[in-house]
Amino acid sequence: MATQLLMAKSPEEAIGAKNASAVFIAGGTEVNRLGSDAAAAADTLISLKKCAGLNEIEEAGDMVRIGAMCTFQQIVESQKTPAYLKEAALFMASRTKRNMATIGGNIAALRDDSYLLPVLFAVHAELEVLKAGRTESMTAYSYMESAEADGDMLITAVCVPKNMKVVSKRYANTAQSHAVLTMSAAMTGEGISLYGAVKNVGLLYFCDLEKAFRENPDISEDEIIEMVRVCTGLETADDMFGSDDYKRYLIGVTAFGLHSKLAGKEV
Amino acid sequence: MAKQYKVVHCTVNGKEIEQIVDVRSSLTDMLRNDLHLTSVKKGCEVGECGACTVIINGEGFNSCIYLAVWAEGKEIWTLEGLTGPGGELSDIQQAFVDEGAIQCGFCTPGFIMTSWEIVNSGKEYTDDELRKALSGHLCRCTGYENIFRAVKKTMLRHLGKFEEAELVNSQGITEYPEPMPFK
Ligand SMILES: Cc1cc2nc3c(=O)[nH]c(=O)nc-3n(C[C@H](O)[C@H](O)[C@H](O)COP(=O)(O)OP(=O)(O)OC[C@H]3O[C@@H](n4cnc5c(N)ncnc54)[C@H](O)[C@@H]3O)c2cc1C
Ligand code: FES
Ligand code: FES
Repeated sequence: MATQLLMAKSPEEAIGAKNASAVFIAGGTEVNRLGSDAAAAADTLISLKKCAGLNEIEEAGDMVRIGAMCTFQQIVESQKTPAYLKEAALFMASRTKRNMATIGGNIAALRDDSYLLPVLFAVHAELEVLKAGRTESMTAYSYMESAEADGDMLITAVCVPKNMKVVSKRYANTAQSHAVLTMSAAMTGEGISLYGAVKNVGLLYFCDLEKAFRENPDISEDEIIEMVRVCTGLETADDMFGSDDYKRYLIGVTAFGLHSKLAGKEV
Repeated sequence: MAKQYKVVHCTVNGKEIEQIVDVRSSLTDMLRNDLHLTSVKKGCEVGECGACTVIINGEGFNSCIYLAVWAEGKEIWTLEGLTGPGGELSDIQQAFVDEGAIQCGFCTPGFIMTSWEIVNSGKEYTDDELRKALSGHLCRCTGYENIFRAVKKTMLRHLGKFEEAELVNSQGITEYPEPMPFK
């Protein structure tokens, strides 16, 4: 358990202090929970609360740049935040947690019931990441892929498009429960983009469904449901969140529903 | 590795405080153990139940997952700070009493602190928004309806809508009178 705390004053100081036995702490809603793996394994917490320049929301051309330390509540309240991101931030129903939890912390937590990652993946959000002393730009999806190999990255900002047609859906028993499925679809320049978070499975890119919708915009709901039902790449299983069949069905109908909504069709 | 301590300076319920804390201490521990503010309840200690909610610089926070050292320079309010000098209850506390929104009382301080933020926000929440705003709190006794009503009525009174507050029925729904038929 961590016994030391560093209140970093700048992102550079924070990344300079990062090593295998240190973890960043932003809003602390994940790290400070008793039994959190990250906090239990670390001996030093690097607090980002006093880091200058990480909590602004600003417009930059067609994009909105959101500092990694912006809280969910700041995102909900800002007039600059695109509506689709506000909707996803409101998936975190608790007001007190929205006052604490940050966008950077939500991304880095890489949870399989993530509030924001499906929508950030779908809109191909760009992250500014500080790594070994220099800033890199990468999509949220490539952050996820490289974070698995290299955890020593500090997210400093998230850039999302201002105007994009995006729809999202989240299924949980109550506003506070873990969601079995969170899915987002966006209409990008190349066509529909489709991502999700499936509890106990992970953060997923539904590339086959995306391809099917792009190749045949009139594909039927039954065909989509059948595609997901027989998909061998999808590692769903029976658990307390539902049966394998239920999860596959849910993914199929949701993907179809989101695509129809994006296309302006009645569902 | 040896434990690390820090001195925290902040204002709690209007009083300036200087307190030495273990850097890993939660604000709940500092408020309860060092300052004896026992309205701040320890329910789950993992951010689920809302029993530990306090107001920091005007916003509700779960103090169990908030480090005490982050309180440096902050203005903190707990339930103890809402009562008047002679122990008079604030309007939101009184509403909880009037509406029967308290049974065992364990969840009550946390609910009241979040409600305080809501009723002082100057915003009129819809019923749906209000239920969601309160959803970070768990109550094992009341069934929530009385709590919802207490908060809704106080919110309406803060907005100067005294008559509307009286129209909130036992299910928390505002029952407007039938409009007068045109003659
Ligand atoms: C009751 C409860 C329910 C929850 N339910 C959900 C849920 O359904 N879905 C969900 O997604 N989350 C959930 N969470 C977890 C959490 O609230 C959110 O993921 C939140 O957005 C994390 O943000 P934070 O700022 O509090 O992160 P922290 O707890 O401070 O950090 C989380 C992780 O991110 C790392 N980190 C933080 N900031 C950065 C940065 N800038 N760069 C790199 N790494 C960083 C930390 O080292 C840590 O590993 C829940 C939490 C609670 C208490
Ligand atoms: S004790 Fe803090 S949320 Fe339950
Ligand atoms: S009154 Fe008992 S838990 Fe709410």
